[in-house]
Amino acid sequence: MRDPRYDALAELVLDHSLRLQAGDVLRIEGEAVAAAPLIVPLHREAIKRGAHCYTALDLNGLKEILVAEGSDEQLEFVSPIELRELDVIDASITIWSELNTHSFTHADTDRRQRQLTAQRQFAIRRRDLIASGKHRWCGTLSPTEGHAQDASMSLEDYEEFVFRACHVLDADPVEHWRQVGERLQARADELGSVRELRILGEDTDLNVVVEGRAWRAAYGRQNVPDGEVYTSPVETGVNGTIRFGFPAVYGGSEIDDARLVLEDGRVVAAEAAGGQEYLQSLLELDEGARGVGEIAFGLNYEIDRFTRNILFDEKIGGTMHMALGMGFGALGGQNRSALHLDLICDLRREGEVYADGELVWRDGEFLHDPQPARPAEHVG
Amino acid sequence: MADVLVGFCASVQKGDLVTLESSTLAAPLLRELYRQVLEAGAQPLPRIAIEGLTENVLKFGNDDQLDWVNPARADDIESVDVRINLAAPANTKRLSNIDPARQARFDRSAEPLRNRYLARAAAGELRWVLSAYPTEAAAQDASMSLAEYEDFVFGAGFLDDPDPVARWQEFGERLDRVAEFLATKREFRIVAEGTDLRVGTEGRSWIPSKGQENFPDGEIFTGPVEDSVEGEIEFTYPGVFNAREVEGVRLRFEAGEVVEATATRGQEFLREMIAMDDGARRVGEFAFGMNEAITMFTRNTLYDEKIGGTMHLALGTAYPETGGLNRSALHWDLVCDLRSGSEVYADGELVYRDGKFLNASG
Repeated sequence: MRDPRYDALAELVLDHSLRLQAGDVLRIEGEAVAAAPLIVPLHREAIKRGAHCYTALDLNGLKEILVAEGSDEQLEFVSPIELRELDVIDASITIWSELNTHSFTHADTDRRQRQLTAQRQFAIRRRDLIASGKHRWCGTLSPTEGHAQDASMSLEDYEEFVFRACHVLDADPVEHWRQVGERLQARADELGSVRELRILGEDTDLNVVVEGRAWRAAYGRQNVPDGEVYTSPVETGVNGTIRFGFPAVYGGSEIDDARLVLEDGRVVAAEAAGGQEYLQSLLELDEGARGVGEIAFGLNYEIDRFTRNILFDEKIGGTMHMALGMGFGALGGQNRSALHLDLICDLRREGEVYADGELVWRDGEFLHDPQPARPAEHVG
Repeated sequence: MADVLVGFCASVQKGDLVTLESSTLAAPLLRELYRQVLEAGAQPLPRIAIEGLTENVLKFGNDDQLDWVNPARADDIESVDVRINLAAPANTKRLSNIDPARQARFDRSAEPLRNRYLARAAAGELRWVLSAYPTEAAAQDASMSLAEYEDFVFGAGFLDDPDPVARWQEFGERLDRVAEFLATKREFRIVAEGTDLRVGTEGRSWIPSKGQENFPDGEIFTGPVEDSVEGEIEFTYPGVFNAREVEGVRLRFEAGEVVEATATRGQEFLREMIAMDDGARRVGEFAFGMNEAITMFTRNTLYDEKIGGTMHLALGTAYPETGGLNRSALHWDLVCDLRSGSEVYADGELVYRDGKFLNASG
C-alpha cells in the first residue's frame, strides 16, 4: 500500500539532502524488513530522477549471530568489496530502522564493540569522502513497531511524530528545510565568534571553550529529521559537571541519568543511575573515549519528547548535547575515538547558557534572533 | 538444508568470501546459512533483496538505467569465492505486465556479469549454488499448499533421508556413469510425440549435475554443437520465463537455428525472446532430467528440468565448461516429458526408452 507520507520523505531526502541528479549512483543501506516501506519509494523516486540506484541490505538477526558465534577474525572482518564501493558511488542513504532495538542487550559488550569498530571503517572512509566533497550522504529512519515501542507510542502515533519532525506533511518540505538552513546558519555564524560557553542547568555547571572552532548548522542535509547547531570544542577546554536527564541509548543498551565531571576536557568521574558498568566500559574503549567530540544545541521544536532514538533526541528543541569520543575534523575537532556517545541535557526548564559572560539562552530558547544572517549554502 | 548447501553443495572453506543472495522471505534459511558459513570459518556477505525494486527500474527507468551494470555487484562477481543464491519470491507474476522489449533490454544488461561468473566457475575460481526457499508464491505456482510444497522441496533434495549427503554421493556416482556413457556418443536422436530431433555433441563434455551448482539437482547436460540441431520438438510443459508462460511450444530447427516457433499460448512472447539476440535462436544446453524424487511439473525450472524421465533444451547461452560456444542474454529451459512413448537413439542405437536409460549404467 502506498503511503504518500513515505513518498514525501523519500522525495525530501533525494531532493534536499542529496540533491540527487540524473546519472548519479546511489546506494541505499538498511535492514531489509524494517526499512522496506521507505526503501521502495526512495528507489522508485531515484529511478524517476534518472539516477542509478541499488540497495545494500542487512537482514535482522545476522549481526546477532556474528557477535555471538563469529571468530575474532570474522568479528573484525571489513569487507574489501564494501570499501571499494565507496569509490564508485556518488551518494548513499542509511536507513537506521530496526525491528528490535534491543537485540544486542545480552550480547558480549567487548565482542559487540569490536564488531561495531570494524563496521565503522566504512563510515569513517565515507566521512572523509563527504568532507572532501566527493560524496553526499543522509541518514534517516522509517518508522517501525520497535522504534514506536521505544518511544512508548503506537506505530500510528509514532509515524505521525516522525513525519511531523521531518516536516514532510508541510506543503513544501524542501522550502521549509531551506529556511531552517538560513536560520541555523546565522546562528552557527554567531556562535563561531564565541570563545567560551557556560551551561547552567539542574546539577549542571559546565564551561566549554569553543574559541577558533567553526559551528555547523544541520538542516536536513545529512540527517532527516534535523535541526541542531554543533561543533567540536577545544579538546582541553571542557571543565565542570553535567547531568544528562535523558537516558542515552548506545549499541542497544541504555545509560540512565548520567553525571560526569570533566577536567581539562577529560571525564574524570562518571556515574549513572542505570548502566553504570556499560558507561565505564565505553569510557575505557580507547584513549579518545574520555574526551569530548561534540557540543550542540537541539533546535527542532517539532520534536518535543524523548523517544530513545538519538536521531530525534539530540534535536529536541531546547536541549543541548555533548558527545564523548569522535570529534569533527572538519570543524577543527582533534579528538579521535571509535566512540561517539551522545548525551542529552534538557535545558527547557532551568537552563541558562552564557556566551563569553552574556546570557544568550534561557528555558529552552536562544533569547535573540541571530545576527547577521547569511544564506545557507545551496549547493554543496 | 543449510548444512547440505554449505558443506556439500558449495563446500565452503575457511577464508572463503561467500555471498548469501535471497529475499527477506527466506530469512529463516538465510540465518542458518549465515551461521553455517561462519562455522566453516568463512565470511558470509548477505545480499538481501526486497520486492519491488526490479519493478521500479523496469517501469520508470530510462534506457541508460535499464542498461546499467551495478559496479558493486560486478566487484562481487570478481571477488567472491562462493555464491549461494536462494529463489524466494513473494509473487512470481509481479513482472507480468512489463513491456517485453524493456524486460529483454534489462536482461541483456545482466549478461556481462553472468558470463563473468560462469567463466570464473568454469576456471574453478568460483563455486555457486542456486537453490530455492519454499514460499507461498512458489507453492501456488505448483498448485500446492505451502505444507505440501515444503514436503516436495525437501523430498527433491533427499532431505527427508537420514543421511542426505550419502544419498547425493550415491546418486552422483550413478550420474557419473551415465555421463561417461553419453560422452562416447556423437549424435542423438529424440523421438516422441510431436518430436523428432537430432542433436550433435561430438567434442562436447557431458556434465553430471550432482548437487553442486543447483540444489536440488539431478541432470546431465552438455552444450550441443551449434549448427547440429535439426528437426522438430514439442515441449510437454509450459515454458516459464520472466513471469510469463508459453504453452504448447513447438520449435523447428535447421542447422542449429530455430526457423519456426509456434505456441498455443504466448507465441508473441516466445518470438520476442528468440529475437533478443543472435544466440537466442540457438541451443545452449541439451540435457536429461534424472531426479526421480521430482515427478511433477511445478512451474519452477530449478525443479522442472530435473524431473526424472525428461529431457530439456535451453535456448540461448551455453555453459562454457561443456565446450558450448553459444552466447546470449537468454537461457530459457524448455522441458519435454519422455516418460511414455519416447525413445532416444545415440549414434543409431536405442539407448533410452520411456524415461529410462536402457543399459545397466543408467
